[in-house]
Formats: sequence, C-alpha cells, structure tokens
Amino acid sequence: MMRALWRRLRELVTPHQLDREAVDEMTHHLEMAVARNIAAGLDEVAARRQARLEVGSVASAREHVAEERTGFALDQRVRELRYAARVLRRSPGLTLLSIVTMGVGIGVSGLLFALVNGILLQPLPYPEPDRLVRIFDINREAGLARRGAASGNIAQWRQRASAFEGITGYYSTGRTISVGDGAEALLTAQVSADFFTVLRVAPLVGRAFTPEESARATFNSAAAPIGADPVVILSHGFWVRRFGGDPNAVGRTVMLERRPFRVVGVMPPGFAVPEPQVELWIPWHISTESPRDQHFLGAIARLKDGISLAQAEEQLNTVAQDLSVQYPGTNGGWRVELSPLAVETVGGAATVLWVLLAAVGLVLLVACANVALLTLMRGLDRQDEVAVRIALGASSGQLIREFLLESALLSLVGGALGAAIAVGGLQWLPTIAAGLPRIDEVAFDVRSVAFIAAVTIMSAVLSGLPQAWRRTRVTAIAGLSTTTRGSTQGRDSHRLRDAIVIAQVALAVILMAGSGLLVRSFQELRSTAPGFDPRGVLVVPIFLDNVQYAAERTRTYYRTLFERLAAIPGVVSVGGGTTVPTSPLGPGGERPVWRADRGTEGAANAQATVRVITPGYLQTLGLQLVDGRAIDDRDTPQGPRVIMVSRTLASTLWPGESAVGKQLVIDYSTGTYPYEIVGVIGDLRFRGPRSEPGLEFYLPHAQRTYLILNVVVKSAGDPRQLMPAVREAMNSVDPQVPAQSMYPLADLLGATYVRDRQAMITLLIFAAAAIALAVLSIYGVLSQRVRERSREIAVRMALGADTSTVIGWVARSGLRLIVAGMTAGLGIAWAASGALEAMLFGVTPTDPLTVMAVLVGVAAIGAIATVAPTWRATRINPVEILRR
Amino acid sequence: MAAEKLDLLILKALALAPLHGYGVGQRIEQMSGGVFRITLGALYPALQRLERLGLVRGSWSVSENNRRARYYTLTAAGRRRLTTQQKAWERTAAAMLRVLHGEGPS
Repeated sequence: MMRALWRRLRELVTPHQLDREAVDEMTHHLEMAVARNIAAGLDEVAARRQARLEVGSVASAREHVAEERTGFALDQRVRELRYAARVLRRSPGLTLLSIVTMGVGIGVSGLLFALVNGILLQPLPYPEPDRLVRIFDINREAGLARRGAASGNIAQWRQRASAFEGITGYYSTGRTISVGDGAEALLTAQVSADFFTVLRVAPLVGRAFTPEESARATFNSAAAPIGADPVVILSHGFWVRRFGGDPNAVGRTVMLERRPFRVVGVMPPGFAVPEPQVELWIPWHISTESPRDQHFLGAIARLKDGISLAQAEEQLNTVAQDLSVQYPGTNGGWRVELSPLAVETVGGAATVLWVLLAAVGLVLLVACANVALLTLMRGLDRQDEVAVRIALGASSGQLIREFLLESALLSLVGGALGAAIAVGGLQWLPTIAAGLPRIDEVAFDVRSVAFIAAVTIMSAVLSGLPQAWRRTRVTAIAGLSTTTRGSTQGRDSHRLRDAIVIAQVALAVILMAGSGLLVRSFQELRSTAPGFDPRGVLVVPIFLDNVQYAAERTRTYYRTLFERLAAIPGVVSVGGGTTVPTSPLGPGGERPVWRADRGTEGAANAQATVRVITPGYLQTLGLQLVDGRAIDDRDTPQGPRVIMVSRTLASTLWPGESAVGKQLVIDYSTGTYPYEIVGVIGDLRFRGPRSEPGLEFYLPHAQRTYLILNVVVKSAGDPRQLMPAVREAMNSVDPQVPAQSMYPLADLLGATYVRDRQAMITLLIFAAAAIALAVLSIYGVLSQRVRERSREIAVRMALGADTSTVIGWVARSGLRLIVAGMTAGLGIAWAASGALEAMLFGVTPTDPLTVMAVLVGVAAIGAIATVAPTWRATRINPVEILRR
Repeated sequence: MAAEKLDLLILKALALAPLHGYGVGQRIEQMSGGVFRITLGALYPALQRLERLGLVRGSWSVSENNRRARYYTLTAAGRRRLTTQQKAWERTAAAMLRVLHGEGPS
C-alpha cells in the first residue's frame, strides 16, 4: 500500500526520472529480442528489424507508458493546470490586466443580474403571485387613459364576474398618527374587506379585519371614519418603531386624526402593498351603493385557477358594458384593463434594467475579446515552443485543452474577483439605485451565483477559443520555419486578430450610440419647461384632523400660518394647494365638467382634475397666468363661486375664444354646480417633463376647504435653510400638527428623472469601459504589426521610402479596422435602437446628433490608438534592424 | 477486458519466479504456444499499472547477461488477485465455450 502510494507520488513529482527508467527498461527488452534473433542466425541488421517488428518501437511505447502514468484524469489536470499557471506567471503584467478586465466585467454583469433577478424575475412575495392582477378603469370613448377603479364598480364586479377568487380595492393617503406623544404624518391605506384574503398574506400578530369591522367602516369623506370602534392593522416597521415589537400591542390604541383606532393585527416584515411606505391599514366598506364614477381606487384581483388574464379581462369587460347600459350616466363608455401585478409593481424600471443588462453583456464581450487578444499576443512569444511540441507529437486535442485551461485559469481568478465586486456592489445598491421598485428584495441567491459561474465559464471559452483555434493550425514545419526567420506569420492569425478588434470597435460603437441617445434624451428632459419654477421652493405637506378642525378653523389655521411663514426673513412668497406638481401626496380625483351654456351634450363631458389652491399658489410656484386674474383674497366663502382652468381645458371647451367670464359646471356626486371662470393658468406638466399638460381646474381653498394642503414657501436662497423656521412657525400655530417631511420642490422634480439619470450614467460608464478596451486593442494590434514588419519597413526605408509612406501604411492598417468596426456597430445599433425607444424622450433612435457624436468619438479612438504605433514605425532605424 | 486479460497473463507469468520485462513477454509467449506476443507498448504500461496497484513490485538488479534490468516480483496482494482473477476467468471461459458450442444448460 505504502509502495503504491510512493509510486504515485513519484509519478507526480519526478515524472522525468520514471520516464528515463522506462526507456532503459524497454531498450533492454529490445536488445534482448535482438540478441535472441542473432542467436537464431540472423545478421545484426535483420535481427534488429525483426525485433522491432515483434515488439514495436521504444519511442511509441514510451508515449503509451507516459500516457498510462498520467492517464488518471485528476493527475493530468493538475499537471496541465500547473503548466498553465507557469505560462501565466511568465507575463505578470498581461495576466493582471486580463484578470482585472475579466473581474470587472463579470462583477458588474453579476450585479446587474442580481438586480434583474430580484426585481424582475423573482415572483412577488405572495402566494401564487402570478394569479394576481391589477384592474384599471379606462374610457376610450372619452379619450381617457387608465384610471383607478370606482368603488361602486368593484362591488358590482364581485357580484357579476366569476373569473376571480376575489377583488379588493384600496386607497392610500397621508394621515396624522400619534401613539402617546409625538404625532407623525404617515402613508396609510384604506382597504376593502378581502384585501388580505386576496393577497393571501396573514398578519404576523393578531388577525385580519372581520367582515363586521369592514362593514361598519364607512367614511363621510375620504379621511374621516364615522363607524363605531374603528380598527387598524400595523406594518411591521411601525410596530417595531412605536411599540418596540411588543405582541401586546394588539388591543391597544393608535390615534388617527386624533381618533382612537384599536390595533387588531401586525403584518409580517416586507409586506408592502400597495406601496412600500404604507405603515397602517384601515378597513373600508365598499358596496354597490358606493359611487361608480370616482375612479381613484387601486384594484387587485386574484384570478381563479385555469382562468387566463385575457379571459378574465373579456369577462369583466362584458360586465362593464352591462353596467354602462344600466347606468349610462356614471358608467357610459367605461371599460376595464387588466395587467399582471408583477408588471405594475415594477413599472418602467423593467426596460431600463433589461437594457442595462444587455449593455453590460456587450461590455463583457469586449472584455473577453480583449483577453482573447492578449492571450493571442502572448502566444506569439510561444510560437516556437508550440511548434516544437507539435513536432514532438503533442496532439491538437491536448494543445487546445492546455490553451483553454490558461484562459479558464484567468477567468476563474477573474470570476472570483467579479463575485467579490458584485457582492461588494450589492451593499452600495440601496444608495446608488435608490428609487428602484423592490430594491430591498434584491439579494444574492442561487440563481445569481449560477449566473456568475455561467458567465465565468462563457468568458473562459470565449477568451480561450480564438487562441486555441489558431494554435492548432500552426503546423510544426510552418511554425518552426517562421519563428526562425522571425518575419511574418500566417494570414490566418492576422485575420483572426483583426476580426476580434473589429468586433470590439463595433461593440463599443453600439454602446456609444446607446449612451449618446440617453444623454440627448436627458438633455431634452432637463430643458423641457415643466410649466413651474421649482427654484427655492420648499414643500410642506400638512394634514389637519377632522375632529379638531372644522372648515372655519381650518381656514384660520392656514391663514395664520401663511402670515407667520411670510414673516420669516428670506421668504419671498407663500401659498398652498391640495396637490403640488411632481408630488404624489395630496387628494386628487377627477370630475366631469361641461359648459353651462351647452349642457352635457356631445364632447362637452370632459373629465378634469380637481385642484384646490390658496392665493399665492401661482406666484410661489411660478405658474403662468395667461388670461384673467388669479385667485386672491376677494374669493371668500361667501363670495360668488369662482374657478380657474388650465389652458388645455379652456381651449378644449372654448376653442378660439377667451374662457374668462364663462360659466363652467362641475358634476360632484352630490350635485352639479356652476362656477365663473376668472382666470386661465398656463400649461403645466404636473407629473414631470414626461407627462402631458392635462385638463385641470383650480378652486379657491376659501370656498372648498380641504384639511390637507401642501404648503409651498419660496425662498430667495436655499429652501432647506427655511426648515427650522417653518417648523417653529407651525409649532406656534398648533403644536399638535406634525411637521416632519419637508422637501425642496427641485428634489421632487429631480426624482421624476432620477431613473433617466441613473440609466444614462451607467450606460456612459459602460461605453467608456468598452472604448478604453477597444483603444487598448487597436493600439496593441498595430504595435505588434509594426514590430513584426519592422524588417520590411527597414528595407523600404533603406530603399528610399520616406516617413509619410510609413505613416500612411500604419494609419491605413488602423483605419481599416476602425471603419469596418464602426460600420458594423452603427448598423447593429440602428437595427437594435428600437429597444431603447421606451426610455427616450424627445429624441428619435436615429438622432443625427448622436450619430455625429459617435463618428467623432470613433475618430478620436482611432487617433489615440494609432499615434504611438505610427510614431514608433517612423523611428525604425534601418541600419540597426537590417544588421540583426 | 483486454487490459484485464493482459494483467492476468502477467500475474500468472510472475507466479513462478520474478522476471524482468523481456522475461515476462517470453514466458507468456511460451505458455501460450506463441499465440500471445506482447509488444512494448502493451507490456510496460501494464507493468506500471500493476505496480501502482501494488500487485507487483519492481526493483533494479543485474540480469543473466550482466546488464542492469528491472525485475518484477508478485506481491501478496498480487497473488490473491491472481487467484480470484483466474477463477473468474475460468468461469467466463467455460461459459463462453458453452455458448459458442451451442450447449444447453446442464
């Protein structure tokens, strides 16, 4: 046993000695056979020939012995691996460069995959999430895109549509909450009875709402419950923060708008429906008596098994059509649209993530090409060695295996580096990719690890194959003879090298074109006038509670507050509105409106958004007054009912004439009221530059008093510096009204294109990386070509060629590669540009400015990469070279 | 199968006395009446394998014509292997014969 082990060890450690011994033994064997033949009467030569026929040649037997010795797969791999490592160690600079290139490529793609995986591929964290859909109301006849569902309709759907296990409605809104001392403004969701049943998520502590609790949860306005003994379910975060995670929190009381709500349950961590910021859920009674024309509810439904989304949509549309016949006044033209909840949760982020993953794939390809090229060049130094080995009978399979092993080793180390980069990057993600949906769910799982492994293997193969392919085509004689002459190599390897460089340039051009388009698009976004001026504006959302604050007291509160805010040094103007451009907070909703002189006939029945404002709102936000006057202190509760409209609404109802002085009728569910239009507000992109100006009307807060106002304060300087003074002012009016979240309006506007900015910057980085790698490759290839042909150049120079001829030759070689790569790259970019379309704003995928920029960029790449090799070519000293 | 057969022949050849490689070849040729003639490329890899498996032991010494030669000795393990392999082979060979001669089960 020990001897056997000893033998194995010797085979590993001193294979050469064993080889020598075997040759000795076999030579002895052959001699004995020769001797026997001589003894049998043959002469020396015949005896030797006979012996060789009988027992074979020592040389070939030696191979067999060596093969048997290393035949054990593991031993063989270890030996080859050792060989590959030695080869790599011989050129540490190139090796390090390759490893870093690989590592960064693999790391960044791993990171992006983790994002795509966590956000797009992982199912939502609810049981059977693929059965969950969002339902939207839509009215194509009235030209209205997706709206929320109406509560009365949800109740009707439940009764009439059989395709669903359940349909739930919800509405999230900011409220003032207090537990003991310290009120805070939080996002809460009012949810219909089967909300938790439809999602199939049970509370962690306590229970869900009972049907009785839901049935008595009616509201006189969106904010105020009138049912007895109201109840609430807490989010895990709120429970931990305000109750220290105490299980006995169930049964205790939370003050909502200064009314006690009894806690019945706590949701598990990570439950974030309908929005991640929601902290409390309260029940909401929905019945067929509920309004059918107020489209502001979120609706989530669970499809029954075996029912497809299309089937469910068809069925629900039949129901919607029946309803529109039954109730033409409220339901005329209204249909539904269904969409998977997963898609709605992620929204527009999906396109961005896929595009970026594709882009990083391109960068990785460029990196692989670079490593392949580096390996290929390093291989040139080993040309003679390979030729000798082929001459000595090394099989091509063995050589390919060795070459692949080299790149495998590179990729393996690169992959390890990449994994480290990806894991490290994941820690930073919440900071750099804030605002992506489901970002908290992103983590490294088996799938991400498998992806990195697969990418590593792919990189190994891609970067090793060209080298392996070329090497096996080196025949022993050609290889030996070219290396001894030291001039040019076969055309094959030139073509291969050129093809790799062309591919790299093409890939870099694609990335340049893509990032160029995003830059242009971002410029357009930034330069599109949103219709308001966010500079210096601080937004202060204020929620008054309906117990303490009746209409008159509310008006007094805000009037007093505005006076004190205006007195703060540095404040230019103050105002307030139920909603502020680009802010998601605040009550909204749409109402049907029509001209008083025309009635509801024809196209007059437009849906317009309700906004309530105070004097000072226009001035503070820098809104344009295009006609008439702004709402001011003349408009008192007792005064005539007045209204302002958006330019789009004015021109829709009164095309070609002034709307000022005209009567507009608003249809509230409680009745219709006429208003006199006093002014027209310039068009406003309310949800940021990507949104279109809409049909909107503005009511004076004095005449339609809301508890909730987004107060806006314009400062001459940095609005952040106002925050302490604003807080103090609020405290002095009523210390019970919480003031936590205030933010500069510019931040809100910036948030509407933060994703554009992230995508643009990321793609720019990718493009820069690809460009750097491409430059490196062109430079490397040209340098090598100059080196290889230095003899030829020297001869030409000796024969009288001048410097410009030499420059021309090198520059042409470079230009050929760049032009070919650019043509291919632009062609592919052109063909694939449709993928970017969804992300672009105000720019077409074939934007001429972008194409120009790419051309200039490529020219710059070419120039940078060509300068040094060209210069070196002109410095060739014919005398020195030819004397060698 | 082929490697197994060759291993068995080598072990059998070494069962009587230690031999060097040429001797092993000669012995097998003799014993088989000249039917099995083993080449270098078959014999030496097999010897190497058997040595690694601990079935034979090789050591350098001087041959009958005063040359350095490597002599192979059957180890105890080798002897055990020979016995089991021989029985197995006899069973196989007998079965092969019965099949080839078309005899039914006895």
